[in-house]
Amino acid sequence: MITDPPRRPGWGPRGPALRVSLLGLAVAFCLALIVWLVSFAVPLRVAGQAYLLLVVVLAFRYWPPMIRLVASMPVPHRVVFGVLIGAMILGHYTLNARSYFPYVAWEIFPFVREDDPVTAREFIATTESGRKVRLLVEQLFPSIVQFNPPLDGDGNPLPAMGPLVQSLARVYNEHHADDPVREVDLMIMAVQLHPPAGESRAQPSCELLQHYDILSGPSS
Amino acid sequence: MRASPTLRHFVGPLELIHAQAGPRLLRLTRLGIFALWIVKLLLDPLWRLAELPRELFQPIGILALLPAGALDALLTPGGLAALLILTLAVLVLGLTDRAFAPVSTLAAILLTAYSCLIRGFGPAVHTDIVLLLAVYALAGFAWADGLALRFGKKSVGGGSSYPLVTIVAMLCLSYCLVGLNRTIAGGLSVFTGDTMEVWAIDASLRGYYFNTNVGWHVPEWPWVVLMLRSGLPFITLFEITAPLCVASPHYRWVFIPVMLSFHLLSLVFMNIFFFDDMFLYLLLIDWSRHFPLLRAKAGQVHPP
Repeated sequence: MITDPPRRPGWGPRGPALRVSLLGLAVAFCLALIVWLVSFAVPLRVAGQAYLLLVVVLAFRYWPPMIRLVASMPVPHRVVFGVLIGAMILGHYTLNARSYFPYVAWEIFPFVREDDPVTAREFIATTESGRKVRLLVEQLFPSIVQFNPPLDGDGNPLPAMGPLVQSLARVYNEHHADDPVREVDLMIMAVQLHPPAGESRAQPSCELLQHYDILSGPSS
Repeated sequence: MRASPTLRHFVGPLELIHAQAGPRLLRLTRLGIFALWIVKLLLDPLWRLAELPRELFQPIGILALLPAGALDALLTPGGLAALLILTLAVLVLGLTDRAFAPVSTLAAILLTAYSCLIRGFGPAVHTDIVLLLAVYALAGFAWADGLALRFGKKSVGGGSSYPLVTIVAMLCLSYCLVGLNRTIAGGLSVFTGDTMEVWAIDASLRGYYFNTNVGWHVPEWPWVVLMLRSGLPFITLFEITAPLCVASPHYRWVFIPVMLSFHLLSLVFMNIFFFDDMFLYLLLIDWSRHFPLLRAKAGQVHPP
């Protein structure tokens, strides 16, 4: 009698597992539909992320090693684990980067930028010997990872800019007493993303926004 | 159609990271995280912040709960130096592993205050947040160990693996949330057009502490433009799938070099470097599987 050789178990789901997978897919599709429907009331930014995150969390929720890990945890450990992970997720959905720090919204390059030219405000100082130096807040004050200069909505300096420039010069001069800074220009630097044909992009263009005399304070 | 053995080999085993971790590995992790904070603080002349105009300071997090008088006292050279010295002292005490639960809790509070303080003069950047959360995890699980032992448990089986798995999960979750946010909030348009070039030029013109002065040249180099544009969806995919690091050793061996390259390129073209996360990548290696010395004894491992 000829019999089929025994079949080796395959990699993908089959039998009841296949039915469960198909059911899972159908549930996922229905949930996605619900997300799309509620996105008229809840911003898609929240609903869409919540849905995708739910998929990730559920994948681990039903992964046997993770189930065994959590099951083996005494109650206090489960509470700590749940609070730490849950707080991170909740913090993200506050869409707020400051109030609940370190439970913040995780946003890095989250939106489209099409500005052309790209501009930035820079402090270009002139020392006593006439040398030009760039004053970077993040280098003079290494505690600060990123700094936004005090500007109004149109990019013009706010009153706090004067004292800031004096502070920058003071800290610079503490470390360069032999050639201190005497004046600082607040410049607008601009880099064209798509310069007109034939125009060079060798250096960013500079435009003076405000001049500050370090000995006598800011002047317009 | 059945997947081939080659594909199975490619996907590899699915094993929980640090499932076999023992007390030695946990101790090393505590030492590493506290030592990293100590180095960061030693390199930081925090007292200089007192030179900046007070009106530029916008308190965030727990500092926003302090009265204005307390903030004024903190933002003096003496106040800032005192915070720095006190935090350093508590972190050094944490290295000794004595009374670790209360010491690490105090360290977590002080480091939270420090992290809020340095962000009060600018945006609440994400660098070192996971490193701070790692201190929370070490403190939280130290208290949990104590509570469990006090209320009847003779030993906490697998206790060393819980904080390590949690720290890795938080690191991966941070990447995942960044990737999901970019994909959903930004939409497809983030991955097309000039967005990455604009971010690179903007970051390059800003400066930051590391200042390579390279990024604003990006539009002049078509191959770099191509790399940035094609790299963003590629990296976003790795960010979203980062939680796989908790489960898949094969995925981790792809994830680590890809993301290290990404962070190094961010430094070159954007002056941005998350060096704290680079150290936390050491926890993406399942040390206890490779070194028996770092493994828990048979009774201390949670069921596989």
